[in-house]
Amino acid sequence: MSLEQFKNRNVGTQNYVMLDLGKEPANNWEKFKQVVRRSVKLELFTGLKVTFREMIKALFMGEMHTVKYPFEKLPIAPRYRAIHEMKRLLESGHYRCIGCGLCEKICIANCIRMDTRYDENQRKEVSEYTINFGRCIFCGYCAEVCPELAIVHGGRYEVSSEQRASFALFEDMLTPIDKLTEQKEYPGFGAVSPDADKKIKKTPLAY
Amino acid sequence: MSKNEITITIDGKECRTTEGEYVLNVARANGIFIPAICYLTRCSPTLACRLCLVEADGKRVYACNAKAKEGMEIVTTTEEILEERRAIMEVYDVNHPLQCGVCDQHGECELQNYTLELAVDSQHYAIADTKRETKNWSSVLHYDAGLCIVCERCVTVCKDMIGDSALKTGPRGGEALDKSYKETMPKDAYAMWNKLQKSIIVPSNGTEHTNCSDCGECTAVCPVGALTERDFVYKANPWELKEVPATCAHCSSGCHLYYETRFTSIDDPSERIFRVKNEWNFQSLCGAGRFGYDYENRDVSKDPEAFAQAVEALKKAETIRFSSMITNEEAKMLQTLKEERGVRLVNPEVRPFQRFLAAYAKAAGRSLYPDDYKTIMKECDFVVSVGAALRNDNPNARYAFNNVQKMNKGAGFYFHPVGDTLVPTFGKSVECFTHRPGDEEYALYLLLDLFADRQKLPSEVAEYLESFHETRTKKVVEKVMKTVTETVVDEETGEEKEVSKKVPETVEKEVEYDHNLLVERLGGDAENFAELFEKMNKKKESYALIVGEDLYGHPRRENLARLVALVEEACGMKVAMIPPKSNALGVALICDLDDEAHGYTVGYNQPGDFVLSALGDGDLDMPAMNQQEGTMTTMNKRVVPTNAALEYGGYELNDLMNALGLGERLTVDWTAKLPVDKGFQAVAFDDLEDGFANDGTELRGYALAQIAVEKEDALPEKAEGIEWSTEAIAYRCNPQRQFNDFTDKAHQIFEPFALYASPARAEELGEKVEVRFEGGGSLLLDVAVDERMEGPIVEIPDFKAAADVYGLFGPYRYANVTIKKV
Amino acid sequence: MDGYIIGTIIKAILILAIISALAGFGTYLERKVLAFMQRRLGPMHVGPYGLLQILADGIKLFTKEDFIPSHANRLIFMIAPAITAATAFIALAAVPLLPEFTIFGVKVRPIVADLNIGILFVLGMMAAGLYGPLLAGLAQHNKWGLLGAARTAVQFLSYEVVTGLAILAPIMMVGSLSLIDFNNYQTGGIGSWLIWKQPLAFILFMIAGYAETNRTPFDLLEHEAEVVSGYATEYSGMRWGMFFIGEYTNMITIGFLASLVFLGGFNPWGFIPGGLAIILKVSFLFFLMLWIRAAWPHVRPDQLMWLCWKVLMPLAVINVTLTGLVMMV
Repeated sequence: MSLEQFKNRNVGTQNYVMLDLGKEPANNWEKFKQVVRRSVKLELFTGLKVTFREMIKALFMGEMHTVKYPFEKLPIAPRYRAIHEMKRLLESGHYRCIGCGLCEKICIANCIRMDTRYDENQRKEVSEYTINFGRCIFCGYCAEVCPELAIVHGGRYEVSSEQRASFALFEDMLTPIDKLTEQKEYPGFGAVSPDADKKIKKTPLAY
Repeated sequence: MSKNEITITIDGKECRTTEGEYVLNVARANGIFIPAICYLTRCSPTLACRLCLVEADGKRVYACNAKAKEGMEIVTTTEEILEERRAIMEVYDVNHPLQCGVCDQHGECELQNYTLELAVDSQHYAIADTKRETKNWSSVLHYDAGLCIVCERCVTVCKDMIGDSALKTGPRGGEALDKSYKETMPKDAYAMWNKLQKSIIVPSNGTEHTNCSDCGECTAVCPVGALTERDFVYKANPWELKEVPATCAHCSSGCHLYYETRFTSIDDPSERIFRVKNEWNFQSLCGAGRFGYDYENRDVSKDPEAFAQAVEALKKAETIRFSSMITNEEAKMLQTLKEERGVRLVNPEVRPFQRFLAAYAKAAGRSLYPDDYKTIMKECDFVVSVGAALRNDNPNARYAFNNVQKMNKGAGFYFHPVGDTLVPTFGKSVECFTHRPGDEEYALYLLLDLFADRQKLPSEVAEYLESFHETRTKKVVEKVMKTVTETVVDEETGEEKEVSKKVPETVEKEVEYDHNLLVERLGGDAENFAELFEKMNKKKESYALIVGEDLYGHPRRENLARLVALVEEACGMKVAMIPPKSNALGVALICDLDDEAHGYTVGYNQPGDFVLSALGDGDLDMPAMNQQEGTMTTMNKRVVPTNAALEYGGYELNDLMNALGLGERLTVDWTAKLPVDKGFQAVAFDDLEDGFANDGTELRGYALAQIAVEKEDALPEKAEGIEWSTEAIAYRCNPQRQFNDFTDKAHQIFEPFALYASPARAEELGEKVEVRFEGGGSLLLDVAVDERMEGPIVEIPDFKAAADVYGLFGPYRYANVTIKKV
Repeated sequence: MDGYIIGTIIKAILILAIISALAGFGTYLERKVLAFMQRRLGPMHVGPYGLLQILADGIKLFTKEDFIPSHANRLIFMIAPAITAATAFIALAAVPLLPEFTIFGVKVRPIVADLNIGILFVLGMMAAGLYGPLLAGLAQHNKWGLLGAARTAVQFLSYEVVTGLAILAPIMMVGSLSLIDFNNYQTGGIGSWLIWKQPLAFILFMIAGYAETNRTPFDLLEHEAEVVSGYATEYSGMRWGMFFIGEYTNMITIGFLASLVFLGGFNPWGFIPGGLAIILKVSFLFFLMLWIRAAWPHVRPDQLMWLCWKVLMPLAVINVTLTGLVMMV
């Protein structure tokens, strides 16, 4: 391998488009001509024109870009991954989480923990569930892996807090029972795809 | 048991094995995968799942059931076999609840694994489901019938290994299969489904609750989440648990197990043991091992003041009294203290065993008993147990005794003064002798009489044995056909006719027989013993003797040791002893024990003037066995490593040794210093292997070496019984799942410290009694019923060190007592 | 004579107060103009339209810790910002800001000192301002500071030449160094502005002025991407603020100079009275500086030197020569 090859750092396919920049001035005379040409053609004033035009647009034509953030908010994308929400079943109002622990397992920041127990109805009950938001990287794996669409990402992205590690408990994330009717499905990671029905094979039933 | 080495070919791979081994075991030992759900190594084939279908020399056989023959050619997968297996897995998936998310087996479920392995991606069969109730069978067993696939592994292991036979299949009450399936389905899948649809697992005693030793082995072998430990249900997911391989420290079996740890809860991040798992194909646990795991000394921090006091106490100590639940390393440390500082070492649990072992060594010319329980389980077909309360003393000895009956078509003698209703159920050919306490000499003489090669016996012994034989007559009832002539009137003709008929008749006959006084002395049926023994001994090739703790403290232990050595020599019996407590064998080999304690005593997990305790109640905290690493000596004569499952923040014995200027850097640095002249090896702890090979070979640690001892030329003396004066005899014996203070500390083990008696005896005694010992001292105890005990002898446990039961009994396990109702 | 001293003191104080306030206001304007040209809003929250942002910034600057690096030359480190601010204000002394007016019957000449060498004094004072950044950069024991100081020396000294040569031609035409004379030279309406007679000089003066006030496209002294903050790297609080005030004062000074010399000064401009006219002119020149900052990228140091010595200086010399020739003829 020659040194030239080592020096070639243009890895990958090189689909570069070369811009037509004209000819570089070769000698001082050409350089001088370039300076004169540019000065005479007043290219510099194009820049001034553009900025002035933008100022006029911004001030008088209502094209100001600034969003006054805390007072105005832009709509967020439906797949945006912000603070988690725990959903309830619409029919019964019972929380959807079955305590399977898949989110706990898949969490790459290792920030989810849950306590489960055997309850009086012989079911697995989630007695407590926490996400350590000091660690959470909002990757969305938990929502993706959840078999019950129970843990999803919500839209609340303002998460500054006075403590370095803030914990969210089950109750904090669960849809309040009186707001059950306002509960919305999350269309992002882990949601059922629109053509899900076509992808499954039907199991025969004897009923 | 034939031991012919043969070669068979599985999928083109040549495998060496012994004749008569099951093909599935051969495949597993050689790392060839054959799917099987219902088969358990060391147990009899169930033939419930039919997945292990293979082709042997062109014929379809079940690998779990087919025995290897020389030159056999096995093909594990063909097109049809795969189709059959897939259909079987599809059937298993019919109506199996889709609740994997909450199931406790999720992630280590064989149904999940095989469904994926056999590529079941769609379902073709259906049947209406039957409602199946979830039940708690006992204080520890939880059965979710909805998840059960009726592989019957639980039933098999309970019968063939544990011996409780507490489970059986019962009716499910499901609908019959659609007839049309019979034509359309693969044959084996249909047959399996037909059976599956009809059955469910139920306790075999016909009630809602099992009556067993609560060992939990059924939960371990369950391939799905149907059988689980009640305490573990829905508590944690298997994948969160960290597996720590360790050695169970409760009894001398030294079983290999895994402690599974995890943080306690969201509020409490400290590690805790959630459950215990075992390599159930090669090692079965008992209830103490499986459920007695949470005995760790929690929340201990270093207390320099107590440590300084402990150092002072050790400096002025004249005696160290310790229990045998310690590692070999700790035993070596104590021995070092004795050597360097002249401290007396007292361990009443081990001392009689050590003396018996010494006597045996002299008589046999070898430092250790020659055989172990693995060999007995594998090779023997006639087991004799002398002096061991088989059900209570040591689970592995009991499993071996039971397994021989079930797997090797074996027979067994059980000599013990306390009647037991469980042991006879181990097999049809189990004969129990409920003899008087102290008559173990007669039992050993009987063995010599029955099994010994007369040529090998010294003439004195042979003569002595002859003296027990008398020719007596007995009445035998026989059926004889007799010809009877009757006069019958023909109804039509009115004629009288003489008709002769053959009529069976029972006749009493006097027959001469060989009356064995030894059998009579031992409480057996001497009249019919000869025939019985002949039947039992038919086709038997390999004999074994299990020697129990009763012999060690026996007043005539030296004579007993000589007899055991003679039995081994003259009868060709395999002999294995049951070391009385956890690491009794290790302590017996490493420590020079003294008989009596005197002066200032430091107790290690034992009462004393200054107490080092892993129970958290002493003057200085010590780590419990699940917080220590080190080695243990098992009754299979192996030195095996154990690891710390949980953190421990306090001082260890090694720190005390360091303070005295005798320590090593780490506790495990002592491992290589164990006495080589006693059979140990100078191997570093980190070089010890752990675990099992595919064929079940134990890779744990190393085997103790036999050391030759100068043989003493003394003949066994004649048998002498022990005189029992008072009306009541007490036997020092723990309930099944209790071994020591540590099992008592575990929250799932709650057998009380009480006087155990048979149901009839318990009724006599009432609720609470005072037991007064002949040698002085008394105990105030509740009376507890042990359903499986028989006879008048009562059992007093010794698992509470504070009660000083050893002091009350002395070295012998039987004592004359007076029992007063309170 | 007493009245003259008192008047001068009052004028000095007034100029100090007003110009430093204007410098502060300049920062606000700069932020606003840049924001608008980038279609942003700029400061909005402190006071109406963010007007009190200056006050807030001032309070912040005053209350911030006065940080002096441990290995710095303390005395010089502390003096340097004062040099910048002081020279900037002193330069303004010779600049007539407005036409004469009468207030309370007192005739006021809005110039602190009408020197007959006014323009020389102003240029000289601005040149002395070089010591501020130079000493600051050398004193602070910081490599970025050192680089900033080196750039200061190179840039200011070089462009001093261009400024001087550029303004030489108008001086030759006017024949005086007093700025009031310059103003009076251009009384004849827009047509008499010197810019028409000396367009090249005006352009050269403006370019050099930008370089001397450290404005884009010649803001190389504290170019963040290259030398962090240049000579001001270790400065904080009000000391840093004084550099700022100096810079903005210089901008205003350059604005006045350019207006007086080339753009007709404070002569009435049609119906617009002279006072308002000069304020409008200065304001436009100030705005131009901001505008240019928004529009143009800055140059490399080597381009800066190339421009100075190979283009601007020769052009200035040619201009002076031509002017001389024309005047001779």
